[in-house]
Amino acid sequence: MSTTLQSLFVFGSSHREAPLAIRERFALGPEETLQLQAQLFELPDIKECLVVSTCNRIEIYGLAQNASNIETSVRENLCALRGVERELLDAHSFWHSNLEALQHVLEVCGGLESQIVGETEILGQMKQAYARAQAANCIGSVLNRVFEKSFQAAKAARNQTGITAGQVSIGNVAVELASRIFGQISTSRVLLLGSGEVAEKTAKALKSKGVADISVSSRNFENAHQLAHNFEGAAIEFSDFQQQLAHFDIVVSSTAATEPVLTRTSLERARKKRPDQPCFLIDLGMPRDIEPSVEDLDEVYLYNLDDLSKIANENLEQRKTKIEAARVILKRHAWNLWLQLRRRELQPKRVEAALQSPKSNAVANQA
Amino acid sequence: MLGLSDTLAFSLAAICYSVGFLLASLRLRFKQSDGAWISYAGLIAGFSLQTLALNLRGAAIQACPLGNLFEITQFIVWSLILIFFIIGPIFRLRWLSYFTIALAAMLTLLVSLVPGTDTAYQSSVFGGNPWIELHATLAMFSYAVFAILALTSLMFLLQQRSLKKKHHSRLSQYLPSIQQLDTMARRLLLTGFCVLTAALAFGAVFWIQNLQLVPIFKLLVTCLIWVGYGSIIVLRWQHKIVTRRHAMACLILFCGALASLWPVQSARSSTELQPAAVNAPTSDRD
Repeated sequence: MSTTLQSLFVFGSSHREAPLAIRERFALGPEETLQLQAQLFELPDIKECLVVSTCNRIEIYGLAQNASNIETSVRENLCALRGVERELLDAHSFWHSNLEALQHVLEVCGGLESQIVGETEILGQMKQAYARAQAANCIGSVLNRVFEKSFQAAKAARNQTGITAGQVSIGNVAVELASRIFGQISTSRVLLLGSGEVAEKTAKALKSKGVADISVSSRNFENAHQLAHNFEGAAIEFSDFQQQLAHFDIVVSSTAATEPVLTRTSLERARKKRPDQPCFLIDLGMPRDIEPSVEDLDEVYLYNLDDLSKIANENLEQRKTKIEAARVILKRHAWNLWLQLRRRELQPKRVEAALQSPKSNAVANQA
Repeated sequence: MLGLSDTLAFSLAAICYSVGFLLASLRLRFKQSDGAWISYAGLIAGFSLQTLALNLRGAAIQACPLGNLFEITQFIVWSLILIFFIIGPIFRLRWLSYFTIALAAMLTLLVSLVPGTDTAYQSSVFGGNPWIELHATLAMFSYAVFAILALTSLMFLLQQRSLKKKHHSRLSQYLPSIQQLDTMARRLLLTGFCVLTAALAFGAVFWIQNLQLVPIFKLLVTCLIWVGYGSIIVLRWQHKIVTRRHAMACLILFCGALASLWPVQSARSSTELQPAAVNAPTSDRD
């Protein structure tokens, strides 16, 4: 029988392995995330399991009885769920185990693996994924410990190094780009498509620079109305926004749609009404909300998550020392955690308990 | 005046523009700053020397110095900088000073270094007719407006390309917004076209009275340029040429207008009467 620590693994695909066009094919919605988590947990070799899906990464953390056998099953489950070819996933994914897996989860929580290095949003997303996995009873003592310690280590690394200082947010980048297009953005009209958190933050950044006219359109009109109220703007029916597109200078899109909500045809129609006015499109959706081909239209400036993150990371060189310091701290924490888990491994009762929970508990509960 | 000859003053002006441009470029490269004050300093020094040189040359020929390619280019550059000093503070376009000094350095160095541009000519090239002198001055002034228009168009294309290609270069961060540049280009185009129209109207008064003195080639080129800029205005108004195409059209037309100066000047020189009667200015002519 393999030991507990030999079986800790993380499999995933992030902005480092896959460009946006590939990443969006692997992306999971909230329900799909839970479905995959449940499916993997059902596998006999998997003892604990947690799935994270954000706009920049899909990652599966697990504790397996036999790691060498489980990799294929994990990959195939994801391929089957998303309908992607195995070769594509293999070419754009990674697999870490044991200490490497520990270091990885710590660096993800610390924001070092984020597209905008040092951002803190990922910590919240990891906590949410952890809470969901706990609620689904898919994690036990090992992943519990791993994640609790990871959250602590991430906070410690951030406090000790200040890696978040000097970090440029997506919202700030969007404001700067809007200024390069429109000059004074206070008179620009903004349309928010969807009510995603990043889009809301971007709209807040625009508002802080004087944008007065922000409208919101979302499939859920109540949400749109609420968000529009926050920005002192108007809510637009989702079915109507295409007709009103010509009135807006900036469109920030962040919907959960699986197909583009803004097509080239609809934008071409809107452009005819204002051919000499530029249009700034910010696509924060995953999968993307705006057809990439709209970029070819004159006076249309389309930026997606990858584009904005690349600009936001331009001051990385200046922050390199802090980032390296944070990495050292996280490695030390990972090593300590590894030793703790090893010590637990040497205590037969705990190993047995670790290997039994939570699946055996769930079975016992059912019985 | 100050013991300077007009040629030396023209040369010093060219050096001021070139050094200013070079230092501003180095500052951009290494200090990550637009170094606008360097461009301004270079422009002020060069403009002062150029004003002095044009005065000296004008005093020597007792007329506005627009008799050869060298003088025409110097006058265009001088007008360009004068217009920059007027509109620069109004529009507050970042980096316009850098692009202006770049063009000034390029043009003044070119006419200073290329032989055969500062040729001797008949001192009474305008025949003492104030209408034709006004025509020439206004025409050069319109060229200066079109030069600024070409610079803003170039800045527009650079900024737009940078935004489209998602390049986040230092230069693009300092450039004005594309909407600002587009608005300014529209206004400059109208201004330049009005000035050129006025120049042609005054020139027509002289042309009607002295048909044989105006070379057909010059007339044709001038009318083509006028029609060219006029067409851009009409097409822009009809939304057929907007933003990028508008900028490209303005840039190409100005390059064409600038390139036509040489053949137009040659055609005019060959048409001028009494080639022996030369009132040589203080410069050494070829």
